[in-house]
This record gives sequence, structure tokens and C-alpha cells, in this order.
Amino acid sequence: MSRVQLEISLGILFVALTSALLIWYGLNEPKRMAEYELHQRAKAIEVGAELYDINCKGCHGPQGEGVVGLWPPLNDRHFFTNRLTEVGWSGTLEDYIISTVSSGRLVSTRPDLYPGQGRPVMPAWAERYGGPLRDDQIRNLAAFILNWKDTAPDRTAQMAEMAGPPTGTDINKQLPEGDPVRGQGLAAAKGCAVCHISAPTGPAWLATPDQPGIATRAEEILTDPNYTGNAKTAAQYLHESIVLPNVYIVPGFQAGVMPANYGDTLTDQELADIIAYLLTLK
Amino acid sequence: MLKSLDLQDLKSKLYQAIDNRVRIITAGLNIRELRNVLRGDPPEEKPNPRYKVHTTSFLFHIRPRYYEKASTIFTHTFRLGFFSMFFFVVEAITGIILMIYYSPVPSEAYQSILNLESNVPFGKLIRDLHRLGAEAMVIFVFLHMVRTFITGSYKKERSFTWFTGVLLLGVTLFLSFFGYLLPWDQLAYWAVTIGTGMAEAAPLFGREANLLLRGGPDIGANGLLRAYLLHVVLLPAVAVLLISIHYYKVSREHGISLPAKYEEGDVSPEEKKNARQRIDFIPDLLSHEVFLTSVGIFALVASVIVFGYSAPLENIANPQVTPLDTKAPWYFWWLQGLLKLGDKTLMGVILPTLVVALLIAIPYIDRNPYRSLYKRPVAVGIGILSLLVLVVLSYMGTPLYGIETPAATRIVQDLAPEEGVGPLRQVPFDQLQPGTYEVKETVPRDLCPNLDFGCPALTSVFAEYSRRVNRAINDTSLPKIQRLPNGQAFLIIEDWQTDLRKVTFRILWDDPDTQQRKTYERHIFLHRLRGNE
Ligand code: HEC
Ligand code: HEC
Ligand code: HEM
Repeated sequence: MSRVQLEISLGILFVALTSALLIWYGLNEPKRMAEYELHQRAKAIEVGAELYDINCKGCHGPQGEGVVGLWPPLNDRHFFTNRLTEVGWSGTLEDYIISTVSSGRLVSTRPDLYPGQGRPVMPAWAERYGGPLRDDQIRNLAAFILNWKDTAPDRTAQMAEMAGPPTGTDINKQLPEGDPVRGQGLAAAKGCAVCHISAPTGPAWLATPDQPGIATRAEEILTDPNYTGNAKTAAQYLHESIVLPNVYIVPGFQAGVMPANYGDTLTDQELADIIAYLLTLK
Repeated sequence: MLKSLDLQDLKSKLYQAIDNRVRIITAGLNIRELRNVLRGDPPEEKPNPRYKVHTTSFLFHIRPRYYEKASTIFTHTFRLGFFSMFFFVVEAITGIILMIYYSPVPSEAYQSILNLESNVPFGKLIRDLHRLGAEAMVIFVFLHMVRTFITGSYKKERSFTWFTGVLLLGVTLFLSFFGYLLPWDQLAYWAVTIGTGMAEAAPLFGREANLLLRGGPDIGANGLLRAYLLHVVLLPAVAVLLISIHYYKVSREHGISLPAKYEEGDVSPEEKKNARQRIDFIPDLLSHEVFLTSVGIFALVASVIVFGYSAPLENIANPQVTPLDTKAPWYFWWLQGLLKLGDKTLMGVILPTLVVALLIAIPYIDRNPYRSLYKRPVAVGIGILSLLVLVVLSYMGTPLYGIETPAATRIVQDLAPEEGVGPLRQVPFDQLQPGTYEVKETVPRDLCPNLDFGCPALTSVFAEYSRRVNRAINDTSLPKIQRLPNGQAFLIIEDWQTDLRKVTFRILWDDPDTQQRKTYERHIFLHRLRGNE
């Protein structure tokens, strides 16, 4: 066999091998493309989670639980089932989220339930409207929010089914024994953690380099000459701060930021649990 | 009528007609000759019709009629020049296909790549081939230069060929560089930001050069469009022109150099004569090139399909967030290394310009008439030294060298890099058992004894985390920035959403300067279906 013939034969062999590889690859393409899309969606959710953590949890809560009487929950059955009809939106929920988040909200659509604070109640997020986020980031946020769909609890029903009568605003009331572990869960579920742990909207509960935890501060405040409330013990101070937040305003913060209606939405037991929890944060 | 129709006659007439057509199409070869070519038989007609092709056909006229036998020895050229050309053609073809799907606008570029990879059959393959071909081309062009340097082929009549070669090396690097930006991911954006930033350091016209390249103070829509046009129009056009000249020089003027020993070595006249035997382009060289092409295509396709080469794609470019480790493509690490050594103007602009000037001037500086390695000790010595310097500079260009990141940041970055995968992201989702894990002196054998499948991957990530943290706590010989006095470290895993977990690294330590307690925290969200690419 001459060299030319040898090279031509080998060349044909390589072309055949290459074709075989390509055919095999081609047969796998539909599967690969489908998987790729799943990965892409997964990554969108991851990125959305990160953006949410940075930008949104201060109002809507770290887990989308919202804050009763201020900011709406997003991780909520109602949001996924009825919200579109309620506002009369004809597109998809994804479009609704993208459009709302992009342009923000000037005034609340539910002033009685979630009045928000200030104007606008939610700033515009898209760069187009002067916000900080690109369109692809807002799409990722939507992917993250939509991922709550299957597990979102029914918060309205939960609220309606309060485990007992509301506790009211009497700080001399005798409360039952509290459970700090349940209290920690409640602090998250009722949205307190949003302002007091995750975002610096309210005074930090946990100890920081500059000040001790809330339990120690509640102790110290009783002897503070500037204290304007009526509490006699640390527990009573906490009780007062929760149901009558505007009796005494912690220096450096403003009146009216903390919702003033917890007396209506917490039961005696829940309040006691939260106070028990706070007393552990020295 | 029917009687006069002679079948024999018709057949031969038809044959003649076809034969003629074939001769016209092939610019000189008839059917018989074509068959001889394919069988590797010698030409039958005289004068040799195979040479005629080289004068009548456009494509063949820049190809050689023949090379001298010894210059085609494989170990003399390693076919590096041929493969440089091969990759250029691969890039051109795959590039044109990519152009169909790509859109050079910041808001769409990244999305168009995602779309290409998830919605276009063979789209990812084409992108992988284009990326692989580009890297291979840089390697082959560089090695080709090294080869011509070693064989002393840049001398005398070939010095202009060398000159066009140096320009081609530059064009190849610039093609890669601007192509790098197009996917518009973090990797691309920051590498190119740094690269074009270097233009700014040029004396006299630096600011203008930078503005011209970026189309504004920062890379944005203008910069992307400019990079795109450079990458798909201007630079390829220049490359085609230069390659044509380069090829023309080699194939029509001076051929490939003979191995030095046949020119100046101690070999018999018999051998010298033999070495100069003609190897004709048609059929020998041509069939060899076709063969090499089929090998090249196979190697490329197999690298992607069998060996899993995958073109990287990181997060979408974010001008607001500079990634911790910005890294130029590997073939520019030497430049990054240079930049760490000194001033941007000197190291980033003046020195590289000098290097290029020196490369071009080599044939004129090196007046030694010999080509054999043994008779040019100085040139070879300098060559080897330069290669070493290149390797060292490249090492210095990687983030491994000379970048001071505070301990906590560094440790977490190594476990879960901002871009790319890293050990944490490789842990299977089910092993990420929610919980708070504190770093202690000793590492538990299994972090999650409650899982029946255990969590070896998570445990090994945690072990590495513990090892690094403990070292930073205890090893007082480390520089201050790499230490964590009185350190405490946690790994916290929380269930966050359906198929989504949140991993938090939290490290606390006493700052040696202020004695204050400091905290570093990073959150990473991991989805079950993320896939690791
Ligand atoms: C300053 C507090 C605040 C921040 C920060 C904030 N929001 Fe809002 N958000 C609101 C308020 C108030 C509303 C209006 C509720 C209404 O109209 O009933 C709202 C409404 C929404 C809605 C529509 C809810 C519905 O049921 O109509 C979505 C979706 C939403 N926000 C998403 C986000 C995302 C995503 C972010 C982070 C990028 C974010 N929000 C950040 C306060 C905030
Ligand atoms: C919208 C944000 C917000 C939410 C939600 C919120 N708070 Fe507050 N909270 C504040 C602000 C602001 C202050 C300080 C101003 C003041 O004293 O009213 C404060 C003060 C307090 C104080 C006194 C703190 C101190 O350092 O002396 C306590 C106790 C408290 N909140 C408990 C709660 C509890 C329990 C909940 C949940 C049931 C809750 N807060 C929900 C914003 C919030
Ligand atoms: C796109 C890039 C390039 C292409 C396509 C290319 C192509 C070729 C080809 C096909 C040859 C024939 C010999 C062989 O295959 O080795 C050749 C020879 C040569 N090339 Fe290149 N080349 C390129 C870049 C370079 C560079 C960067 C240099 C050096 C700076 C260079 C210098 C030379 C010289 C000196 C020869 C003559 C070699 C000899 O006669 O032995 N070329 N080139």
C-alpha cells in the first residue's frame, strides 16, 4: 500500500470515527439540553435567594413570612392562589412579580393589612426605573419566590386561628410560664426577627461588640433616668416594649416603626414564650 | 435515424465530455489522472498536469508545487504551522455558526449563550470546539514559533516570514483576548477590564487608547460591540491577509527549510542529494494534509465528547462586583505576573512592546550564519532562558502568588469560590445535612451519623475547613494577615426552600491591630439540581 493510499484509508477511518461520535452525541442532545435547562433554573433560584437575602428580607422577612401589619408575606398560600384575581392581573404570576418588583409600589394596595412605611412603600428595583438591579437579576428573584409555591403555608388561616384570645396591652397582666424554644420559633414566625436580627431596622437582640444582648439591656434600662415607661422588672419591660412600643423609644430609633398592634395578634402564651426567649439573650 | 445511433460512439463522446468538464473543474487533471492521484501513482501525461493546477487554480496557487524531501520529516516541523492554520479554519467555521446565535449587547449576550447551550442542538458542542480550538491555536502558534527558532529557520531569506509570523502571534493573542469578553460573564468582564485598563497606562495616548477600546470609561455596550467587531471582522481579516503572505513566502519562495544537518552538517553528497528530492504537492502533500485534518477534527471532537472539555461560563458580568480572584486567560498570566513586579506603564506597556520589537528583530540581531543547534549556543541559551522566564512570570501571574487576602476570606473562597465550583459545591445535595457545626481541635470522623448513607463529602470539606482554620489559629509563624487569633469558626446549613439549602460560613477572631472581635460571614445557596459546570 502506498503512503498516499495508507493516509487516505486512515483518513477515512478517522472521519468515520468522528461521525460515530457526533451521532452518539446527537442522540444525547435532547436529554442534555433538558438537563441544562434544569441546571439553569436551579442556578437562577440560587442567585435569586442571594439577591433576596441582600435586598428584600428586611421587609418581606428572611423566609418571606412578611411582618403582620406592615409588609406582606410572599411565602404565603394566598399569594400563589388568589392574589392575581384579587388585583385583577391577567398575566402570569411570574410577570406580576417581575413587574411589581421592577417598578416598586408607590402606595400599598392593602393599606389596612400591609400599609408599609413611607412613600414609596416599596422602592423600584429595576435599573430602568432607577433601582439597583438588572432585569436578569429580577428574573432570578422571581424564580426564587416562585419556588415557595409548593410549600407556602396559609398565613391568613393561621392568623385567623389564633390559639386563644389576644393578650391586650395591660402590662400588669399575669402571664403563663414561657418556653424559650417556642419563643425563638415565634420570633421568626411573627416577623420580629426581620427587624431585630436580620436587618438593623430595630435594636439588635443579640450581643454586638458595642452592647450586650436584649436581656441584659432590659435589666439595665430600669435604672436609666431617661426611661419613660412603667415597667418594674426586665420581663415587664419586654412585655411593655412589645404591646406598647411607643411608650418608650429606644435612643437612636424612631417611634412608629415597630408595629403597635402585637397586643391584638399575640396570645398570652405566645407573648410569654417570646419574653422567655428574649430573657435568654444576655 | 435509429440505425445511425451508435452506442459505442455515444459512450465515448459522453466520456470525453465529462473528462473535459473534470479537467476544467480540477484546473488540469482529467478523470484518469485524478484516479492516479488518489492511488498515489505517478502522473501519466507530460508535462506533469499536476503542476498546472498551481498556476490555474486560485486556491492552489498559494500552495507549494513540492517540498524537498528532508524538510517534510515529521520531527523537523511537527506540522505545527499546518495545525496553526487548521485551528484558524476551525475557528472561522465554528465562529460563523456561533455568530448566528450570539448577540453583542450586554443585556442579551449572556442570555444568548445560555440559549445556545440549552436550546440549540449541538450548540454547546460548537461553543466548546470554538473555545478549545482557540486555546489550541495559541499553543500551536507558540510552539510553531519555538520550532522555527530552534531549527534556525528565521535566518536570511526567511526573516520576512518570521516577521509576518510574529505579527500573526500578536493577532492570534488579540483574537483570543477579545473573544474572551463576548460571553459577558464575570470571568470575561474582569479579565478584559484589566486588559484594556493596561492600554490606559500607555504613555502619551493612554487615555485615548483606553477610551477607544472600551468606548467609554468602563466596558459597556460600546466596549462589547467594539470587542465583537474586532473579533469577528477586523482581526480575522488581518489574520487572513497575514497568513496568506506567510504561506506564500513559504510555499512559493523559499520552501520549508531543510534540517540544518543537510545544509551545513557532515553528511555525504549522496544523502544531501537524496534530501533534496522533490515531494510533490499532488498527491503526497495534499493527501497528507487531508489526513492531518481528519486527525485534527477527530482529536477536537473527541476532546469534547469523550474527554469532556467544556467551555467555562461563570455568572453574568456584574460591573459592581469585582470577583476576589480575577484571572486573565492562562496565555496572559505572564503579563499579569509582570504587572505585579512594577509599574503599569513600564511592565504592562513598555516592556511587552520591547519584547515584540525584540522578537521581530531576532533575524537581524542574530548574525550567526549557522542554523544547527550546536553552532548557536548563545541564541539557544537565550531562548531557553526566555522560556524559563515566561514560565516563572506565568506562575507569578496566578493568584497563588503575591496576593494578600485576609485569612477568613481566603479560606472560604478556597472552599466555595465566588466563581466556578470548588469543594463545597461538589458535595451531593443530600449530604448537606442541616445543622450547626463548630470547628474544634479534632475533626469528627463522620459529620452526620444520623444519615444512613453518611456524608463523606461534607465531612471532608469540613475537615479541610477545620484544618485551615486551626492552622490560622495556632500557627504563630504565619504573617499577620493569614492568622485568626482566638478564632472560632462555624459551618451552618439550613433548609431554605424546596430543594434549596443555605450554607453559612462564619468565622470570628480578634483583629491583631485593633484587638476588636471581628466576624466574617458568607452565605451560599445550593440547589439540588444545580449541576456542576
Ligand atoms: C421597604 C420595604 C420593602 C422592601 C425592601 C421590599 N418590599 Fe416588596 N413590598 C413592600 C410593600 C409595602 C409591598 C406592597 C404590598 C401591597 O401593595 O399590598 C410590597 C409588595 C411586593 C410584592 C407584591 C406582593 C403582592 O402580594 O402584591 C412583591 C412580589 C414584592 N414586594 C417583592 C419584593 C422583592 C423581590 C424585594 C427585594 C428586591 C422586595 N419586595 C423588597 C415592601 C418592601
Ligand atoms: C418593623 C420592624 C419591627 C418589627 C417587625 C418588630 N420590631 Fe421591635 N422594635 C423595632 C424598633 C424600631 C424598635 C425601637 C423603637 C422603639 O422602642 O419602639 C423596637 C423595639 C423593640 C423592643 C425594645 C428593644 C430594646 O432594645 O430595648 C423589643 C423588646 C421589641 N422591639 C420586641 C419585638 C418583638 C417581640 C417583635 C415581634 C413580635 C418585634 N419587636 C417586631 C422594630 C420592630
Ligand atoms: C496563525 C499563525 C501561523 C500560521 C497559520 C503559520 C503557518 C506556517 C506554515 C504552514 C509553515 C510551513 C512550515 C510548518 O508547517 O512548520 C510556516 C513556516 C514558518 N513560520 Fe509560520 N505560521 C504562523 C505563525 C508563525 C509565527 C508566530 C512565527 C514566528 C514568529 C512563524 C514563523 C515561521 C517561519 C520562520 C517559517 C519557516 C519555517 C521553515 O522554513 O522551516 N509563523 N508557517
